[in-house]
Parts: sequence; C-alpha cells; structure tokens
Amino acid sequence: MKFSDLLRLSINNLKRRKLRTFLTVLGVIIGTASIVVMVSLGIGQAALQTESIESYASLTTIDVWQGSTMGDGSSEEQNYITDDVLKTFERIPHVTGTSPVLRTNVIAKQGVYEANLQLQGVSNEYLEQIEVGEGRLPLDEKKLEFLYGNTVIRDFMNSKTGDGYYSTGEEADVDLMGKAVFIIFDTSAYYQSQMPQSASQGSDAGQSSTKPPKKYIVPTAGIVKGSPDEWNQYSYSTYCNVDALKSQLKAIYRKEPIPGQPTDKKGKPLDYFVYDNASVYVDDMDNVKAVQDTIASMGFQANSNMEWVEQNKKTMQIQQAVLGGIGAVSLLVAAIGIANTMMMSIYERTKEIGVMKVLGCDMRNIRDMFLIESGFIGLMGGTAGITISYLVSFIINKLYIRNQIMNGYIMAGADTPGNISRIPVWLIIMALIFAVAIGMLAGFFPSRRAMKLSPLSAIRNE
Amino acid sequence: MDKKPVIKVRGLYKIYRVGTNKVYALNGVSFDIYKGEFVAIVGTSGSGKSTLLNMLAGLEPPTKGEISIGGKRVDKMNERQLVSFRRDNVGFIFQSYNLLNTMNGIENVAMPLMFKGVSKSVREKKAEKYLKLMGVADQAKHMPNQMSGGQQQRIGIARAMVVDPKIIFADEPTGNLDSKTTMDVLSLMQKVVREQGKTLVMVTHDNTIAGYADKRIRIVDGKIVSIEYSERGTEIEGEETEKEEISISLGGNPGENSPEKN
Repeated sequence: MKFSDLLRLSINNLKRRKLRTFLTVLGVIIGTASIVVMVSLGIGQAALQTESIESYASLTTIDVWQGSTMGDGSSEEQNYITDDVLKTFERIPHVTGTSPVLRTNVIAKQGVYEANLQLQGVSNEYLEQIEVGEGRLPLDEKKLEFLYGNTVIRDFMNSKTGDGYYSTGEEADVDLMGKAVFIIFDTSAYYQSQMPQSASQGSDAGQSSTKPPKKYIVPTAGIVKGSPDEWNQYSYSTYCNVDALKSQLKAIYRKEPIPGQPTDKKGKPLDYFVYDNASVYVDDMDNVKAVQDTIASMGFQANSNMEWVEQNKKTMQIQQAVLGGIGAVSLLVAAIGIANTMMMSIYERTKEIGVMKVLGCDMRNIRDMFLIESGFIGLMGGTAGITISYLVSFIINKLYIRNQIMNGYIMAGADTPGNISRIPVWLIIMALIFAVAIGMLAGFFPSRRAMKLSPLSAIRNE
Repeated sequence: MDKKPVIKVRGLYKIYRVGTNKVYALNGVSFDIYKGEFVAIVGTSGSGKSTLLNMLAGLEPPTKGEISIGGKRVDKMNERQLVSFRRDNVGFIFQSYNLLNTMNGIENVAMPLMFKGVSKSVREKKAEKYLKLMGVADQAKHMPNQMSGGQQQRIGIARAMVVDPKIIFADEPTGNLDSKTTMDVLSLMQKVVREQGKTLVMVTHDNTIAGYADKRIRIVDGKIVSIEYSERGTEIEGEETEKEEISISLGGNPGENSPEKN
C-alpha cells in the first residue's frame, strides 16, 4: 500500500469525527504549549542572569594572580607575573590577548579636594574593552594620561574638613575633565610630609621632616561611561597605559625600589616589572574553562566569571527540568486522551477494519494507518501549541517588562531588559518531534489492537 | 470431468468447544469445485455453511482437514500469507455490502487495488471499467449512504472483481435486498461467471436463490447431504459451451501440480 494512500485514509478518518479530533488535538495543544512556555521561561531566566553577569563583568576574561604557594619560601624564584609569563599565556590556544595589571596607589589633588586613587596600568587591549562616557581612551604608550572610573569622583574629600561624599552625601566640586589634576605617586613620602601637621593639629610650629614629594599634572583622557551612582566593573578605578606608567614610575624612583615591587636578595630592585595580576582574553565563553585550567596548571591562580555562570547554569538546569516536568504532565494527560480517542475509533471501526482485512489489506498497513492518525493528532496539536506558546510568551514578556518598569528596576524608555520567556529554534523542533512521538506512542497499543482484530467480524451480520 | 479442481476440500472438520461439549460445526466435509462453476452452499442457519465459507476464504482455521485453492494449501498458511493470498486470488461479496462510508463509489471499488499498491490513476481506470460492467457508473462519485441497497451491492460486486480474482466468495449476497433487486443481482453474478469465467461460491439459506447456481452443495449439521447439478435453468444451459471456452486460463497456475503431491 502506498504511503500517500495511507495518509489519505488516515486524514479522512480524522475528518469524519471532527469534534472528537478537535478535542483530542486541544489536549495536545495545551500540553505542548505548557511545555514550551515553561521551558522558555527557564531559558529566559538563565539567559537574563548570564546577561546581567555579562553587563558588569566580561565573561571571556580570566584574571590571573600569582601562585601563592609555588615558591614555598625555599626558592626565591617566586611565581611572578612578568612580561615573559604573559607571552607564554598568549601561546595557549584560544587566547586572543593578555594584559598586565600594574597597580599602584596615587593621590590626586584638585583645589582643596584630594583622593586616594587605585591606579591600574593596563594594556591597550584591556583599555579597549572599557566604554568611555566622556573623552577618549589613554592609548598613547609614551604619554601618561588617566581614564577615571565614573564613581571615582566620590572618592574626593575636602582635605581641610575631611568631608567627602560618603559622609556628607555631596559630591566634591571637582572637574576631572576641565581642570588640572595633580597626582602624587610617592604616597608614603607624602604622608610622611603630612605627619607632623596632622599630629599637632592647629599648631603653626609644625615643620615637615621630609620634603613633600613632587606633584605631577597628569592630563585626563576620559571618564568611564556612566553616572557617579552607576556601578560597573570599571567604575571605581583609574586606568592608564601600562607602558606609560612604567616609564613614569622609573623616572620618579630612579634606582630606588618602587613600592609594591619585589626586590632581590640585596634589596635592589629587579630590572623588570612584576605585575600584581593579569587579564587573559579568550575567544569564546566555551573555551574559558580550558584556558583557565591550563593557566592554573602553570602554577597561577586563575579566576573567571565563567565559574559563576557555570554555577548558575546548574541551578538553572534544575529549575528548567522542574518547569519542563510540570509541562510534561499536561502532555501526558493529552497522550492519554489520544490513546482513548484511538481506542474509541477502533471499536467504532471494527467492522471496517475487518472488511479491509478480508479484502487483503496488510495487517501492518492497518497498524500504520492508526499510527499515522495518532501521529497526525500530535502534529496538529504540536503545531497549534507552538503558535499559542509564541502568543503566551509574547504576553508574558510584555507583562514582565511593564512590571519591571512599575517596580522601578528599570527606567521607562531605557534599554529594555531581555525577555523572560525565550523560545529558541531547537525548542520548537524538539516540541514538534515530542508531540508527534507522544501521539504515535499513545496510538501504538490501540493500533496493535486494530492489527490483531479478527477479519471475521466483517462477515458477521449483526 | 478430468479437469483439476480450483477448490479441493478433503475431510474438513471444525469443532468448537462449548464448556465440556464438543460442537461439530463441520463434520468431515469433502468436495471439489471446478473453474467457471457457480456453486451455492445451501443450508439452514447453524448448518455450518458460513463456517465452511470462512474457512475456504482463510478467515478461520479448520480443526482438521485439507483445503487447497488453486493448488495452494490454505489451511497451512499463516495470517500474513493468508492476507496476501486473499488480496491476489479472492474477491468477496458481503450480505451487508460493507462499503466504506468515507469513500465514494469508485474509491470503494478501487480499494483492493489500493491495498496492492496500485497508483490512483491506474486503479480508478480499472474500477471505472467494472462500475460500467455492473451498470453503476453513474454512482462513481456518490457516497454509499446516497445509494440504494441494490446499487451498493453492485458496487460490492465490482469491488470483488476489480483485482481479477480466481474465486469470488459471496456470503448471502442478496440477504438484504428485495426480491426484484435480488433477481438483478443474481443475474449479474451469473453474468460474471459466464462472461468473465470466474468461479463463484455463494452461501445461502434460500433454495430459490440457490437454484440460480450450477451446482448446489447442501449442508445439514456440518455434513454434506447432497451435491446437485442444475438441470432446469434454461438460460444457464444455453451458455454452457461459452463457459467452457473461457475457463482455459486456469491451466497456467504455477501451484497446479501440488495437490497431486499432497
């Protein structure tokens, strides 16, 4: 028997009992829609979380720190992060670039205001990941320029009164872009020079024991994007080009050891810079874990936000399974409905099946006919169910965003957050396959029953 | 008659168990049916005539005995073989027509060909030919519930003939028809036997209807009491010679020799 003929017979049979077919299909529609919507919520939630992590931290960056126990005291050869080490990192597959992070604390002054800044000398690759609000990136390797974090302005305090944003709630009257900012690199010398003054406050007789260190005017290249109350991973530090910072530090300290840098046995500074940490950039989120493991095996501490994301993923997967399970229950009920419909149909068509058998219809063809019928119910229900779940998903997303706006999590008109319900293509395909499979599975036993019906029932005259 | 029989039945028993009692539906039946014969199996209800027909068509297995059709042992076939055997060799006419209500006239006639996997255009052409032969070409596009009983049974006969079977079984084919239509249908069936050279086995309880057959096998309580040949039906006698001429085609049957071996 030709497949096209089987298909036609099956569809004719479904058409014959339109209401019953419709009701059975309705069950599958509800089942499929509930699975798809439930899973889409799970996917949406997981994606939202990943996106929110992404928004304040890059997911393809690995932070590398010195190995803590490598040297173990016995060997003076510490596991330092140096330019050579960075070069070996760059040779690891999937690594697109590296950046050293040279940290130093400096004091910035403008008028009566001063702030203790955490300065990070980084490579241009690092800088290029930062979104600039005002100005531009300090990419020049020869000239020292600063890029201030957008919340740095709150660190400025009135040096006379000691008041700052965190005590008064008012931002200092500092113009980082417009007016010159004085930077003091040798902070210990500065504090020493301040000491007597602060020890005997109010007394005029104070005389500084040490000469106050030199102040430098460092031009401002720009400010990180965001208002002073928007927090992100670049908001609280000050950035500059690492090479420019290195030459500046060398110029200041000359032969003296640079604070924070290790020295050799004789207390002399090393002829190379040791970085506090480094960033390693990976081409794709999926490769982060492997690269991280490689770096760790080289004796460094490696951290990335992927660990966090992975953790999250596991939780989300459980949540998705639970949501999908709830949806699956309704599809199971639908499957029982299909089985029931098929049984009814077979009882009703006992005679007809008998006639077909007497006239030489292959038993397998009869079975296939019923399987196609039940599979078709699954297909129709699945298709309609997916359409409906798109609709439901659309409504949920609309309500979700409105709710977020009403609760003040996001501002109206601002970038809308991601959808809470997302239906990827694979979910559609899986749902369709699942619906058809459920239909055919539900029709399997009834169809076997039909296959085994005696042809004698056709001959019997009731 | 030195021709080989199309249907050969030897020592056929069908025993049903009802509690501890054995009921002999068929109690040792033996007979031969030759090609081109119109045979009526006559008996009252409960005589075992329907059981006999069911077994000839392979719808019910015998308890004991031997059935050969066209040289093939029907009693030894499994269900799958029986299905394909019926599909290729047997046509069926039912008392209650048993047309499929979801299909129109021509589709019903073409249905056995569909089971064979014949394409739609070919099978409908063939079906049309038989619809014309049965005089119901105008019913091709009608659904069964729009037809009279006589029309439905003509469609049923066309359906039985469409696969060009060696044997046509008819189970009380006129049982649901009025007397006038009964005559029409019977003469059609005679025509099929005479002009198409088919072998037709009909089960009936009615002696008058059985009188239209060439040969009557009378069954009482599972036993054959008599086999009669028709002497009176004038219209039958007159066409006897023609019948002989048409019946040659059976000689080429590949399974023909096997009854001798058995």
